Amino acid sequence: MASVPVRPRRSNFLASWGVNIAIALTALHTNLMRSILTMLGVLIGVFAVTLAVAVGNGAQESVMQSINSFGSNMAIIVPEPDNEGGRRSFDRGRLTSRDLRAIEREVPGIIATAPQLRSTLDLVTAGASTSTSAVGTTPGYGQITNHPADRGRYISEADVRSAARVLVLGRTTAETLFGEFDPVGETVRVDGVPFQVIGLLEEKGSTFGTDNDDTVVMPISTIRQRFVGDTLPGPDDLQLAFAGFEEGASLVQGKIDITNVLKDRYRVRDGEINPFRVRTTQEFMEESQFITGILQAVLVAIASISLLVGGIGIMNIMLVSVTERTREIGLRMALGAKGSDIRNQFLVEAAVLCVLGGAVGLTLAWLAGAALTAYADFPVPIGIGVALGSLAFSAFLGLVFGSYPAIRASRLSPIEALRTE
Amino acid sequence: MEQHSGKPLIETRDLVKSYNLGGEIIHAVNGVSLLIEHGEYVAIMGTSGSGKSTFMNMIGCLDVPTSGQVLIDGTPTADMSSDELAVLRNEKIGFVFQQFNLLARTSSIDNVAVPLIYAGLDKPERRTRATEKLIDMGLGDRLLNTPAKLSGGQQQRVAIARALVTEPLMLLADEPTGALDTRTSEEIMAIFESLNASGITVIVVTHEDEIAEHAKRRIEFRDGKVIEDRPVGNRTVAVGASLAEDV
Repeated sequence: MASVPVRPRRSNFLASWGVNIAIALTALHTNLMRSILTMLGVLIGVFAVTLAVAVGNGAQESVMQSINSFGSNMAIIVPEPDNEGGRRSFDRGRLTSRDLRAIEREVPGIIATAPQLRSTLDLVTAGASTSTSAVGTTPGYGQITNHPADRGRYISEADVRSAARVLVLGRTTAETLFGEFDPVGETVRVDGVPFQVIGLLEEKGSTFGTDNDDTVVMPISTIRQRFVGDTLPGPDDLQLAFAGFEEGASLVQGKIDITNVLKDRYRVRDGEINPFRVRTTQEFMEESQFITGILQAVLVAIASISLLVGGIGIMNIMLVSVTERTREIGLRMALGAKGSDIRNQFLVEAAVLCVLGGAVGLTLAWLAGAALTAYADFPVPIGIGVALGSLAFSAFLGLVFGSYPAIRASRLSPIEALRTE
Repeated sequence: MEQHSGKPLIETRDLVKSYNLGGEIIHAVNGVSLLIEHGEYVAIMGTSGSGKSTFMNMIGCLDVPTSGQVLIDGTPTADMSSDELAVLRNEKIGFVFQQFNLLARTSSIDNVAVPLIYAGLDKPERRTRATEKLIDMGLGDRLLNTPAKLSGGQQQRVAIARALVTEPLMLLADEPTGALDTRTSEEIMAIFESLNASGITVIVVTHEDEIAEHAKRRIEFRDGKVIEDRPVGNRTVAVGASLAEDV
């Protein structure tokens, strides 16, 4: 008989975890169906939470993108008429081209301003017709809103002065009216009036389901004279105006400056409500970040419930497992297992269960994210941080929900456990 | 086998184990003082409920006495923590059970290696030692079989290999042949005999006289007390450790 004494050598922390993982895999394999069903709970939870985080990040990203696509350093000025008595009072709450010129003159850091009058108009060619949103503006609009013409030309100062009947078509509108055919130089009847197409706008894609390419641009003087003049309180009034700032200029200061200029011009006294509103792209970003943040928090909170349920499933099945294997626990103790050895064995089993479920859930979330990105045109980024985070969280979940059953197992008395049938 | 200390391998002093069953105190073991020396081969006899198994569980450090002392190799166990007891079982005691208690769906070699996990050996070392012990038990061709693929006698031999793999001082066997037929029982008892001949202390709990005949010393329990402690048959008992002399 070989008679080398077997001691003293309690050591090798890593090796004992390896053994525990092997024991865990054997145990999970033994009750394969049960293990898979238990894993399913964690899988769904991790899938839901991961996807919720990713969708939230994606929403944030896509809002940022679309705000940036409209010019990232810009203020929007909107007149705010009183709505007292159910009737719009235009005595207060007007915005005119003269106001814009004053702003350009007096506010530092401004590159350009652009007015806007908008109306939905019918466009007809020989073979096609459509109805679209027409923007009447000045040449600076293309630059400020980051949407210039890339074929033909944009509207010019001369067009504005002469109220020329010229149109710059968005890509979708052009395609609807002319198909593949080059429309520059062609004629389109707008509400019955013939217009010449002078250019095509750069392709811009859609934002939240709105097609930014389904639009036309014409001189502000033209749209005012022919289509919207009688809806406005005066010959110089605007519906909306944009002010583009130099890169690096402070939008907070810009907003204060614009507000002060307009307050002056409309003689708004301190304490009175302004008859206009100035908003900046920075504010839009902050607001939408706040909103998408709330959206994400709500999604994650709801998804977390399923993760919690999954975790309770783990605890439940680990309790069953400990009860079923009480005799094995007793045997292991008789053969020299300490309470901590038994505890670790069951902790590892719970963690392995969770990490396996979490890995599959993560993979499915990644696939779902990729599918959403590809088919719904909505970015769902699952970065390495989210991936590692959800795996680490799965393991943590296993340790938390596995600890009660594991500690219970470790406190069994060897002889009581061995006697169990 | 390690060098022993010269002290008795097992000493019990006025050992008592009582249970409270519905308000009635039952003394399963009621004041037992015994000495078992290194190298003995002891049969612990008695009917069911005589206290023999409870006694064995206490000297095996699986169960805690209500009062009295168990000294293993001269060391009192009363004040040991459960972790210290686990180490002591791992290093000094090998258990053999009636129902073999092998892990299902686990190969012979992995079953035998279990105590070495808790001894902290690495995997190659565990495998080497487990293989050696299985070959000693004549199971060299059954290393990778799971218990379901082994006969009862083979399973019990795997269990004996497991009990011996940490080179313990003693083998504690609780009705080791209870689940085996007569011929296989003889095989197992022959193994115990040769193990004892090689120097290991063997303690067998049994209610069968034929099994007890293989031992060198016979201790009989009744109602929680030792009623007889004598050498078996015409064999010579190495150490005359009887109750009368110890007290």
